[in-house]
Amino acid sequence: MAYQWDFSVVSRNWDALLAGLGNTLLLSTASIATGAVVGMVLAGMRLSGRRLLAWPAVGVIEFFRNTPALVQLFWIFYALPVLIGVSLSSFVAAWIAFSIQSGAFFAEVYRGGIGSIERGQWEAGRAVGMGRVTLMHRIIFPQALRRMIPPMIERSFEVVKTTALAATVAYADLLYEAMSTISKSYRPLEVYSAVAAIYFVVLFGASLAAQSFERVLKRRGA
Amino acid sequence: MSYTFDFSDVFSNIDLLLVGVRYTVLLWIVAFAFGMAVGLPLGLARGSSRRLLHLPATAYVEVFRNTPMLVQLLWFYYAFPTLTGWQVPTFVAASAGLCLNTSAYCAETFRAGLQATGRGQYEAGRALGMPETTLLRRIILPQAVSRMLPAFTNRAIELGKMTAIASVVTLPELMYEARIMTSNTYRPLEVFTVVALIYFVTIYPVTLLSYWLEARQRRSA
Repeated sequence: MAYQWDFSVVSRNWDALLAGLGNTLLLSTASIATGAVVGMVLAGMRLSGRRLLAWPAVGVIEFFRNTPALVQLFWIFYALPVLIGVSLSSFVAAWIAFSIQSGAFFAEVYRGGIGSIERGQWEAGRAVGMGRVTLMHRIIFPQALRRMIPPMIERSFEVVKTTALAATVAYADLLYEAMSTISKSYRPLEVYSAVAAIYFVVLFGASLAAQSFERVLKRRGA
Repeated sequence: MSYTFDFSDVFSNIDLLLVGVRYTVLLWIVAFAFGMAVGLPLGLARGSSRRLLHLPATAYVEVFRNTPMLVQLLWFYYAFPTLTGWQVPTFVAASAGLCLNTSAYCAETFRAGLQATGRGQYEAGRALGMPETTLLRRIILPQAVSRMLPAFTNRAIELGKMTAIASVVTLPELMYEARIMTSNTYRPLEVFTVVALIYFVTIYPVTLLSYWLEARQRRSA
């Protein structure tokens, strides 16, 4: 191939890319943490047995699981400010969008985990006179948690990948830094390849770590 | 809230959005069909005991599953032409990017589904003197496919949502039309609300199908 590779553009802009990676991880962590809480609220509403709580939760869950994350992000970044009269920074918009989106997915993980606990456990708890909350807190949740961990981790990786969309609303994440490096250097091949490699190292490394963590959990008899 | 909604701009230009929907659906179908077609040999290679097949297939699957779709798409659209000197048409670049990504996930589904089919089935086929390809086509795949259906439907849903990313490389699908319409009308609230609803209405039937398939599988299990 006649093309002359020149990766010096990557090393020259390394600091900017690393700062971008830091922002990617910041947005990811914030969205996953908030999403875990949002998911708990949504799952609680859905499992409450009260229609007035369950139906809106189902609506939110289904809507956010069946529309593109990019559309959600654009809605919150461009449309929501029109409605509330306050403009949002790209970080806040992405944080809100990805928290609700991942919350919708987390809610289904919680629901699946709780639903997988045998009925006998509920009956036994009730038989010893436990209230609904105590029963959930002491008996059901600890068992369900172990089953939820693998899909939770998998979902979290999806969130990290989804945060790359924030570059389209100019949040200075890894991808955005890559784009601005390219607009100065005209070296899309080297920069996008390097950025793909950085994402890969982070995500693949994390997934290997998660796998060994899950093996430890299994050995402890989950 | 003091804001007054005005959907007239959106509805008078609804045909633009509908053209976008056509591209979205076309992209969805093309990328999924090719993704499945590429995924099968990949899944076979991934499950193979031969290193020369197993290692490259594993690398491929892991790379596509551990990098963001948007980065993959930008790579195909901007970086690939630099390497080859061939400027790929937008639709080809977008569907190729989505197809490769989908194929990596489909490969895993195929691999898991084929491995879950009992060894006795393979042995019986071989005992009858069937060549590997006939064995796969006549014995293994028909049994494995019904088990794999829910996973494929879920992949289709994910892909349907991913098509919106093609707007970034200016493919005139639904999301791209929405962005153009927003910059022409200054009505982001109305435009993106309608577009989100269109996506929901387009994608949700597949989700309902996946619920039905999962329920059916639970019953038969």
